[in-house]
Amino acid sequence: MTERVITLKSFFEEARAGRLTGIRCGKCGELAIPPKEFCPACQQRAWGPVPLKGEGTISSFTIIRVAPRGHAGEAPYAVAVVKLAEGVSLLGRVVDMPLEALTVGLPVKFRPLVKGEQTVVGFGPA
Amino acid sequence: MRRVAVIGVGLTRFGKHERNSVELFAEAARDAITDAEISPSAIQALYYGNVTGGEGERQLHTSPLAASLLGLTNIPTTRFENACATSHVAFRHAVMEVAAGISDVVLVGGGERVLHIPTDHATEYFGFCSDASYEQPVGLTFPGVFALIARAHMEKYGTTEEQMAHVAVKNHRHGVHNPKAQFRKEITLETVLRSAYVADPLKLFDCCPFTDGGAAVVLASEEVARRHKRSIWVLGSAAASDTMFMHEKRDLSRITATERAALGAYRQAGKGPQDVDVVELHDCFTIAEIVATEGLGFFEPGMGGIAAEKGWTSVGGKIPVNPSGGLKSKGHPIGATGAAQICEIVTQLRGEAGPRQVEGARVGLTHTLGGNTATVLVSLFGRD
Ligand SMILES: [Zn+2]
Repeated sequence: MTERVITLKSFFEEARAGRLTGIRCGKCGELAIPPKEFCPACQQRAWGPVPLKGEGTISSFTIIRVAPRGHAGEAPYAVAVVKLAEGVSLLGRVVDMPLEALTVGLPVKFRPLVKGEQTVVGFGPA
Repeated sequence: MRRVAVIGVGLTRFGKHERNSVELFAEAARDAITDAEISPSAIQALYYGNVTGGEGERQLHTSPLAASLLGLTNIPTTRFENACATSHVAFRHAVMEVAAGISDVVLVGGGERVLHIPTDHATEYFGFCSDASYEQPVGLTFPGVFALIARAHMEKYGTTEEQMAHVAVKNHRHGVHNPKAQFRKEITLETVLRSAYVADPLKLFDCCPFTDGGAAVVLASEEVARRHKRSIWVLGSAAASDTMFMHEKRDLSRITATERAALGAYRQAGKGPQDVDVVELHDCFTIAEIVATEGLGFFEPGMGGIAAEKGWTSVGGKIPVNPSGGLKSKGHPIGATGAAQICEIVTQLRGEAGPRQVEGARVGLTHTLGGNTATVLVSLFGRD
């Protein structure tokens, strides 16, 4: 196998540098967020990396007001499922937008949120 | 495969306890064994469910510990963990062991204790049931998961916060009659609607509480069960899973694992939603009950909110849901919840539920959901 495998580690390393990477099935064209061994649509194993633009719209969101330990100082904060232009979705923290302005269908754009060693998927104004 | 029956059930009081989760299970198991009128030595296997013992109690290897506290030795023991569906998963495996003829009598259940730790710690531990790379770092909580589902359901079907509030009011009204319930107090729509947002659009009173408690069930083969007058048959028990990732759910307004598990259980039982007289389902949040009543086939997609508002899911309504008070009022000790729901349905089908009895109930259903809607179990029960 000479294919380039996108691991969780490499997905978030790329994301840290501002690049979102999906994987596309070379057999049926299914697009997915890595990592994944077999294609859920055709069961083949022919993934290739594909850059994602990071542009999308909010398909659902919530404002977390009671946060778990580790995020306590951050509440209230918004979390959204964003449907990307390429068709896959991604969960992320919504930043740089007033919480009361959030609506389903609102356009947003990916931005990495870097917290020490950790990279978190974020979305800001389109 | 052999027919399998429940011959004994046991439940601790739900609420705050000083004893640890294995002790709570052992108390429930003692009562289930007594209820089954068997000798403890008749038990040939133990299936135990617990979720947060490792984090909250610094205790792993809990299934032989449970057997040790019960004074049972030399039987195989197994611990299960599938988030909030844990002991219903354990139950299905126990059913398969008896159905396959490996054992004639099996003890199954769960225990959980979380009220001794701070709420933000408990919220974090429960959060471990979502993905550690894509979800936990974003700060997604379980109220948050169901808030995303609620928002999608509201957008698609026009479901309202008031309709969700009706679920909480109804389950608290039911729970008043359950001596084991954590909150035996009626609440009003205003109380729910005026409570603070936890994860918009879900408010404090849309959420079930943190709970300590234990639940246990004794399963037996048909030959053993025939010697017991109060046996209740397991008509079907099915499991389904869905992707763990919120970003992979195709339609956030639906819980497809519920639909698939229900289909499996109905098929095994040769029954459909129209045959069910009483239901205990997973109302961890009010929206979860609304979506579940749709996924289990009681109402068309989008009608769950209206059904709650019109009282169709009350005891005395079209399809009584959560006569025990549900997770909302009875409480939700996550490792014990699936078994506790089964205890209630067995009690209902025996006709022993007292003031919360659903009159003439012959077929009952339990539904338990785990984590990011990624594990769902549905079981059907019937009396002779
Ligand atoms: Zn494919």
